[in-house]
Amino acid sequence: MEHIFQSLSQFWEYTGFANCSWQNLVMIGIGLVFITLAIVKEWEPMLLVPIGFGMIVGNIPMFPGLNIGVYEDGSVLNTLYQGVKQGWYPPLIFLGIGAMTDFSALISQPRLILIGAAAQMGIFGAYLLALLFGFAPNEAGAIGIIGGADGPTAIFLSSKLAPDLMGAIAVSAYSYMALVPVIQKPIMLLLTSDKERRIKMPVPRTVSKREKIIFPIVGFLITAFIVPSGLPLLGMLFFGNLLKESGVTRRLANTASGPLIDVVTTLIGLTVGASTQADKFISFKSLLIFGLGLLSFVIATTCGVLFVKLMNLLIKNPAKKINPLIGNAGVSAVPDSARVSETVGREIDPTNHLLMHAMGPNVAGVIGSAVAAGILLSFLG
Amino acid sequence: MLLVAMMGLRAQNVSDLIISEALAVPDSTGIMDDYGRRSAWVELFNKSTGTVNFGGCFLTDDRTNLKKSIIPKSDLRTKLGPRQSVVLFCSGNGQEGTFYAGFTLEPGKTIYLVSNDGHSIIDSLSIPARLPEGKSVVKLAMDLRQQDFQPQDSPAIPSPGMLNGDQNAATKAQAMAESDPHGWTLTLVSVSVVFSALAILWFLFWLFFDRPAKQAAKAKAKAAVPKTATGTPDGEVAAAIAMALDMEASGDDYAAIAMAVHLYMNDAIHDVEPGFITIRSTGAAWENKSRFFRKLPR
Repeated sequence: MEHIFQSLSQFWEYTGFANCSWQNLVMIGIGLVFITLAIVKEWEPMLLVPIGFGMIVGNIPMFPGLNIGVYEDGSVLNTLYQGVKQGWYPPLIFLGIGAMTDFSALISQPRLILIGAAAQMGIFGAYLLALLFGFAPNEAGAIGIIGGADGPTAIFLSSKLAPDLMGAIAVSAYSYMALVPVIQKPIMLLLTSDKERRIKMPVPRTVSKREKIIFPIVGFLITAFIVPSGLPLLGMLFFGNLLKESGVTRRLANTASGPLIDVVTTLIGLTVGASTQADKFISFKSLLIFGLGLLSFVIATTCGVLFVKLMNLLIKNPAKKINPLIGNAGVSAVPDSARVSETVGREIDPTNHLLMHAMGPNVAGVIGSAVAAGILLSFLG
Repeated sequence: MLLVAMMGLRAQNVSDLIISEALAVPDSTGIMDDYGRRSAWVELFNKSTGTVNFGGCFLTDDRTNLKKSIIPKSDLRTKLGPRQSVVLFCSGNGQEGTFYAGFTLEPGKTIYLVSNDGHSIIDSLSIPARLPEGKSVVKLAMDLRQQDFQPQDSPAIPSPGMLNGDQNAATKAQAMAESDPHGWTLTLVSVSVVFSALAILWFLFWLFFDRPAKQAAKAKAKAAVPKTATGTPDGEVAAAIAMALDMEASGDDYAAIAMAVHLYMNDAIHDVEPGFITIRSTGAAWENKSRFFRKLPR
């Protein structure tokens, strides 16, 4: 009988109930909120469901040493987590993004590329603020990249510059990407007049197949020569796009943009979520990172919209003016921020469709954030 | 092609090794070998970012005998990680172990590291004749990429197995924290680079694709303005019709004709069919299931 009690007592020690702390419960609660938002509100479900469930997986209280935790060498979760830690997943996701992205909107109106550059100010604004709050330069760089609104880029850079902060940075980046409609709309309305919101942009010209094929090659050569440290992201992005546009590698493009990106998105979401173990995640630093992440999105959106207004001051021909509502799309949350431009534009004038125009700065933002990540890596890595 | 391939192979292998430091006359503070002796030593450094296996290479102090002392091939410890160094003792007896050379070091001599082919000299280091006891001769990186290493004239404090130069050198982030504590310089430079990269992209595509395409479209549109038999553009024809109608037609006629002219001029009507054929399935007797039912016998 005594032996049975001893065994039961030993078993109890191994259960989650015996090892539970309030921090674990908080993180499980946050995971449930993510899942609820994804399912009920449909906010970035592809990201929030895996991350939310990953948070629950990573915060199940357990007896250490069983070789099952995400931070325990050789465990299944740890093996899957290496893709995040070593930075394999983000370039693979960029390959898929490249194979899905149509750069026509950008090629037909090259001037919109500059809006994508302006919106990267969010990265550097957050970098300055993070330094002000006492973060080391490498940590500040990793936090700043949240403003790039690009989850894979944020994971890639933080894994190189500040691995300890990666969980908080990745969750912050993905959370704010899901909240793009909530964050951007008030800023767009605040910074634009009714007249500006009604600007109708000319229909973009048709882009030839030759232009579409040349773009990824030229784009890669220019950006990679300027910032070689962005090679893994830029190379995969443009390679994926070439697979799509060449027309002769349809199977490869379909794999990259379909099964491959789905698999990697599932794994990256789950493992990033699982990496938010309460003992490593719940800290004042994490809270600061969340606050700075929000500010970086605000700065990025503001700079994008204001930059379009500045461009309009320089454009003399009224027919060529740019609707400042596409300025927010320089934030590279593809295609959510472009969708916000379309939605807000149609609320003002139901006949004014901005989606095609907004996709230009949107995809330019993807290139811009990868370039910015490369610069930060070369300075701080 | 074979030559290029061979060069590529060499580049990833032993050619990335250098003799980074050597100590010829140890003093009482020098490091001891596995036999408890304070021997002379040489340090090899892998300047590449990949692992290099130096097993099978040779060390020598005699230019005429490049195979004087071989480093054993079969020892796994001869794999040298990226930016790592290893110390080999010059005890005079290469049989003492993997990391022992079969000659002793003397000031004024030159040591050669020879490739595993036995005749290609990878690197060399001359030991000054007046090198003080307990001091070493070192090579330091002369470039940011740490690929160009040059021997230093002044004797150095020995640092066997460690990176030569400033051991407490700041990391990039630490250096940045000192030189740019508020981050403005990095921000300015980074923003300029992001803008430059995308501006170059914009300029190239505007110059080579967007502008020519728009010019071509403009020229095409100009050439495509239909002319009447007498060379009068459609716009003028429309104006003439409007004037004639003004004199004799009613309001409904105006509207109908204006609409027709508008549709024609804006290319909203056309005579070319789209080329799509929609085949709508219609029920055939063969599909009627009731025909396949058999009446049950009464």
